Amino acid sequence: MTALSSKTDFKVADLSLADFGRKEIRLAEHEMPGLMSIREEFAASQPLKGARIMGSLHMTIQTAVLIETLTALGAEVRWVSCNIFSTQDHAAAAVAVGPNGTPEDPQGIPVFAWKGETLEEYWWCTDQALAWPGADGPNMILDDGGDATLLVHKGTEFEAAGVVPDPTPEDSEEYGVILGLLKRTLGEDPQRWTKVGQSIKGVTEETTTGVHRLYEMTEAGTLLFPAINVNDSVTKSKFDNLYGCRHSLVDGINRATDVMIGGKVAVICGFGDVGKGCAESLRGQGARVIVTEIDPICALQAAMQGYQVATLEDVIEEGDIFITTTGNKDIITAAHMGRMKHQAIVGNIGHFDNEIDIAGLTKTPGIERINIKPQVDEWKFPDGHTIIMLSEGRLLNLGNATGHPSFVMSNSFTNQTIAQIELFTKNDEYERKVYVLPKHLDEKVARLHLDALGVKLTKLSPEQAAYIGVPVEGPYKPDHYRY
Amino acid sequence: MAKTKPASDVADLGLAEAGDARIAWADAQMPVLRSIRERFVGERPFEGLRVGMCLHVTTETANLARTLIAGGAEVALCAANPLDTQDDVAAALVECHGAAVHAIHGEDMATYYRHIEAVLDTRPQLTMDDGADLVSTIHGRRTELLAGGEIIGGTEETTSGVVRLRALEAAGQLGFPIVAVNDARTKRLFDNRYGTGQSALDGILRATNMLFAGRVIVVFGYGWCGQGIALRAKGAGAQVVVCEVDPVRALEAKLEGYEVLPGVAAAAKGDVLITATGNRDVVRREHYEAMRDGAVLCNAGHFDVECDLAALRELAVERRQVRPHVEQHVLADGRRINLLAEGRVVNLAAAEGNPAAVMDMSFANQALAAEHLVKTAGTLAPQVHGVPPELDEEVARLTLAALDVEIDALTDAQRAYLTTWDQGT
Repeated sequence: MTALSSKTDFKVADLSLADFGRKEIRLAEHEMPGLMSIREEFAASQPLKGARIMGSLHMTIQTAVLIETLTALGAEVRWVSCNIFSTQDHAAAAVAVGPNGTPEDPQGIPVFAWKGETLEEYWWCTDQALAWPGADGPNMILDDGGDATLLVHKGTEFEAAGVVPDPTPEDSEEYGVILGLLKRTLGEDPQRWTKVGQSIKGVTEETTTGVHRLYEMTEAGTLLFPAINVNDSVTKSKFDNLYGCRHSLVDGINRATDVMIGGKVAVICGFGDVGKGCAESLRGQGARVIVTEIDPICALQAAMQGYQVATLEDVIEEGDIFITTTGNKDIITAAHMGRMKHQAIVGNIGHFDNEIDIAGLTKTPGIERINIKPQVDEWKFPDGHTIIMLSEGRLLNLGNATGHPSFVMSNSFTNQTIAQIELFTKNDEYERKVYVLPKHLDEKVARLHLDALGVKLTKLSPEQAAYIGVPVEGPYKPDHYRY
Repeated sequence: MAKTKPASDVADLGLAEAGDARIAWADAQMPVLRSIRERFVGERPFEGLRVGMCLHVTTETANLARTLIAGGAEVALCAANPLDTQDDVAAALVECHGAAVHAIHGEDMATYYRHIEAVLDTRPQLTMDDGADLVSTIHGRRTELLAGGEIIGGTEETTSGVVRLRALEAAGQLGFPIVAVNDARTKRLFDNRYGTGQSALDGILRATNMLFAGRVIVVFGYGWCGQGIALRAKGAGAQVVVCEVDPVRALEAKLEGYEVLPGVAAAAKGDVLITATGNRDVVRREHYEAMRDGAVLCNAGHFDVECDLAALRELAVERRQVRPHVEQHVLADGRRINLLAEGRVVNLAAAEGNPAAVMDMSFANQALAAEHLVKTAGTLAPQVHGVPPELDEEVARLTLAALDVEIDALTDAQRAYLTTWDQGT
């Protein structure tokens, strides 16, 4: 672990990378027209003045542009990555140094993130970003996957119970780390998380997995503050998930392995928006794509697009590349990997690392792990065949490549920024529930990206608008429209 | 235009008006052939020449015949397949364009061969074949036509015919030069791939009205036709499986992303099986025994030999015509195999053949190849020749012009760079 230990309030791998990060941020700003327009639109009104935003979201170049948009709108920000592998160290350094600072005199925002954190380090970072100098904590969370929200909720729950339980053998290694952290904070300040939870006005959540957790907490009545589900904005899930993964999956596989994709059999587990993008990109490279699904509608969609739809069991010996996109757990088991072809490539592009059973793989008797390079491991089974695991089963587009391209992230992050403004400035209008952004804001996000692509929009005439019963200026579709 | 109408045998001359309207429709989509025809009207390269044509009697062929007639030729035409004749076109060629036509849709084999003989009875000086039926009949039963030395040469339209003619040449028996129009780049890269790719699927759709999306479509043969069929089937949402004997072709298919399987394994999973090989018995007893209930079987190759129909009939306990062009074979275990168009070339038998726009390129090659044979009469060896590259490029140029496509030209410096050995670094 090469992270600097700094006296200042941040922790990144190497501040000297800041100049490189700043150059890439400058390039990314041009590719993120939505965020840059929002900066202009709200430069004078400063709607986030007074907001203390704790962000837990992949610390990439694109995220740096988001962070600096939030600060440009008046917010104070503390940041961590939401995955141990997804930080781009030059991006983290540039954010810590800030546009006006130098590595010797950093003037950016407190960021706690580096590529290749241990689980203990990861949760330490989250804890640091949630600790606000001069306040109980943040008053807003910007979450991706829900880890920051989870820590606040679990902390509050155990503080109410007065005790943090010991991990059980069924618990994941990571949950054990969380329990350890909470046990420590309970000793230090038995009201720490309760106070943090009370100071938070709301959370905006980036991804499917985190949204799923939020809806569960709403059902259970345990959600402590209102939430905006950014994931289900059309300009997020139908763009980031679909087009972003279409771009970055193949990028990740290529950087990790440089294998010829044409002619291979690729198995995509899950045919949601992410799976659809993955299947299209691999087919575009000349792979024959097989899809596995549990949902009959998605399965039928895959079949009608000409993909073979099979069960993983039936095609496990046939695939050269396996990608999980489900948002569910235990999709590819150690037993599956034991039956795969020699040097089959296994990777996950779903948010969490539980889609592939890495723990089971590790426990396989006689298995040997051969590290090829960072985020690429060959696992050798006792019978001599090997599989190639990308990013230890964590999302490979970020682990092995650089995640989604700026343009697509501009759509997602413009939604995030609008959602932060919405929750912070109109907090009274929101209850402890999960909301999606109204349609007109979704359309606004799309509109902000059209000019950059040279798109010329056709305008409805008032007669045409009346004929289909929509305002001339939108919104154009009912909320239930599926795009 | 012709003074007296030559002897013909068509289904119904009363269909001529309807046929001529359709010929005009196709002509509008054949700008290249039209420009050649306009030139021929002035130059009359075929003045008084007898041309025997054995081609599918379609609107596009009619426009080729018109082009030759405009150049001064006397044309006699028969069909290259008993099921492909469009009777209205045959009538229009006789009534409106002065061709002798011997072709009736659905004629039996005896009539089919009688019609070939009738064309040969006109003692053609140029032959134009699609499948080499004229040339092989001349070299078989009608060798007296060779003896006179009147035949200048012939052209051949399709892969299957070229294969037969090369065999004839290899046996040392070919009596006059042949230009293999099929081998022109502007023919096989377009007609075979994009023409057949579209029209073979069109034939299946018209015969069955089935949905391709989600189905497994097996393509036997990954030559130009097979590539086109696979490409368009994939575009329609089908899952495409390719069967090949040539390892290079098979590898191409594999790296294009298709599943490549041996024929019997493919037959076991196909909803639709299409042959496009130019070979015989590609689908045979062992395949029928593996096929799924309800499988659709058809052929996009030139001849009806690609599926072993005798074996299919032997296996069938019952045969019934369930729709036009769909004959259902019920096997002993109840499985049903739906054979389209009696195993004949499905795009012509169940649809309208290749679209006019793509036939325009093929037939422009035919017209220019015929002109080339006449201009070089007596100088070409009795072998199978390619289309001269300048003709090939001329067809592409004319087609681009018709599509309003402009392209770049090499600079002098670039041309020099490509033709010298000492530049390069």
